[in-house]
Amino acid sequence: MAMQGIWSGTISFSLVAIPVQLVKAIVPGRVSFRLLHSEDYSPLARRMFCPEQERMVPADEIIRGYEIGPDRYIPITDEELASVSPERSRTIEIVEFIDMNEVDPIYFDHPYYLVPLKGGEKAYRLLVEVMRRTNKAGLAKFVLAEREYLVAVKSTEGALALTTLHYSEEILPDEDISPREGKIEAVEKSRIKKSIRQMMADFNPGKYADARREKVMALLKQKAKEKAPVEAPAIAEEEGAGPADLIAALEEIMRQVKQNR
Amino acid sequence: MSRKVVEIAGRRLSLSNLEKDLYPSHGFTKAHVLEYYRRIAAFILPHLHDRALTLKRYPDGVAQAFFFEKRCPSHRPAWTETAEVRGDDGERLTACLVNDLETLLWVANLASLELHVPLARAASPETPDAMVFDLDPGEQADILDCARVALILRDLLSRLRLASYAKTSGQKGLHVYVPLNRQETTFADTKTFSRAVAVIMQKNYPELVTAKMAKEYRKGRVFINWSQNDSAKTMVCVYSLRAREKPVVSFPLEWGELESLAGLGDPERFQVIHSEAVRRAEEKGDLFREMLVKQQKLPHL
Repeated sequence: MAMQGIWSGTISFSLVAIPVQLVKAIVPGRVSFRLLHSEDYSPLARRMFCPEQERMVPADEIIRGYEIGPDRYIPITDEELASVSPERSRTIEIVEFIDMNEVDPIYFDHPYYLVPLKGGEKAYRLLVEVMRRTNKAGLAKFVLAEREYLVAVKSTEGALALTTLHYSEEILPDEDISPREGKIEAVEKSRIKKSIRQMMADFNPGKYADARREKVMALLKQKAKEKAPVEAPAIAEEEGAGPADLIAALEEIMRQVKQNR
Repeated sequence: MSRKVVEIAGRRLSLSNLEKDLYPSHGFTKAHVLEYYRRIAAFILPHLHDRALTLKRYPDGVAQAFFFEKRCPSHRPAWTETAEVRGDDGERLTACLVNDLETLLWVANLASLELHVPLARAASPETPDAMVFDLDPGEQADILDCARVALILRDLLSRLRLASYAKTSGQKGLHVYVPLNRQETTFADTKTFSRAVAVIMQKNYPELVTAKMAKEYRKGRVFINWSQNDSAKTMVCVYSLRAREKPVVSFPLEWGELESLAGLGDPERFQVIHSEAVRRAEEKGDLFREMLVKQQKLPHL
């Protein structure tokens, strides 16, 4: 399957620079639906509505506002936002290497793959191999779609994977979650430990599947067999193409034009 | 940041960021854009005159984000001419009228590389002074296919006693214009007429033409976009630059020229770059001048 590149540039550290392309590592499995008008099956469009004036608002009347309190906003223009947006990265510059085991998975946000571009294959393979052996990940700052991310670059089965990481201030504290009441009995502790041991398995994600997705897809397949799909109205139909007089004149002239060409 | 104040007809205009590379792969800077519009002004101004301008601004050059602006920016110089027009949802807005060199350069200084205007003048927004066939090649079709369609259209229209004029879009397509310049014409007329022509063309050349907007019909064909004949739509103005990799221009072509280009079979040769646009306009004059004066009536309506 040809993968659509999201970004291309180089990944570098010290004196190594490898040309790479960033591609998605996951395709969300959610089944998505279009919203249609039940009367004529036209696909529906979303419009912005002003509840105060009770009318649709065109794009050039829409601005952004940062909410500072109930009904209080600081308006901000696209130009102002652009002025503080970081410049698009041309390189993923690894600034330090960390031990992957030290990273709490809660920090992992979005996974991508890095694909070597022409001329970078050899250096790429070398980096994959060394990182795999040492179980180290490279940390880098990287700007994607006007946002600056902290990313970890690690080795996975012969390829480099890039994962965007959450910033630490995005992670909610867990200290209020653990209840402090109640004494833990030694007997209970060992019983739970035993149950866990009995249920131990290797992580094998392939044996789990999204059951609802499978059911929805089976339902759609069944419906497609039973009934023809509905169609949205075409914009221009041959019928009713215009006033009869004009159509007749055009038909006649078209005939002459074709004869002469 | 460089800044330069120029004075034109007694009006002061402050030009900024002149060294900014707006067409990076071509080294074509803001200064070059301003110079192009200064030199082409005599040709483009009559076609912009009294029309509500839609700016298409590329503040960081053609490779970066752009935005459309129908409203005339509020920081405009006091001498800018404007008109109150109706926007997409019927609301009123103030649009720029580019009626003189200083406004043209002010607009170019905003990095509005492309200048888009309606088919009607601001004072009579419901009276199109031209009908247009916007020929847009789908995937696997190109400007050569558009040229074939344009030449058939010319023959068809001339048998209806309607003179027509073609220009490159400056992108992949061609625009065929029919000047009307009559107060009685409405957009309902031009839309009905152009749509009927598009449908007849599709019926007779089903492998070459489609009158339908949907992508699946457009593959390998030329979409005759008749729906541009609408008071809410704009077309890129003749002689406007386009924001492509190279600074090409939406430029008028004589029918004979279009015939020979179609014969040569090289899509790239249709494109007219800025320097050639100035040279050819100075040599041949405004090939679109009839658009401004020629009165024609749509028959059979």
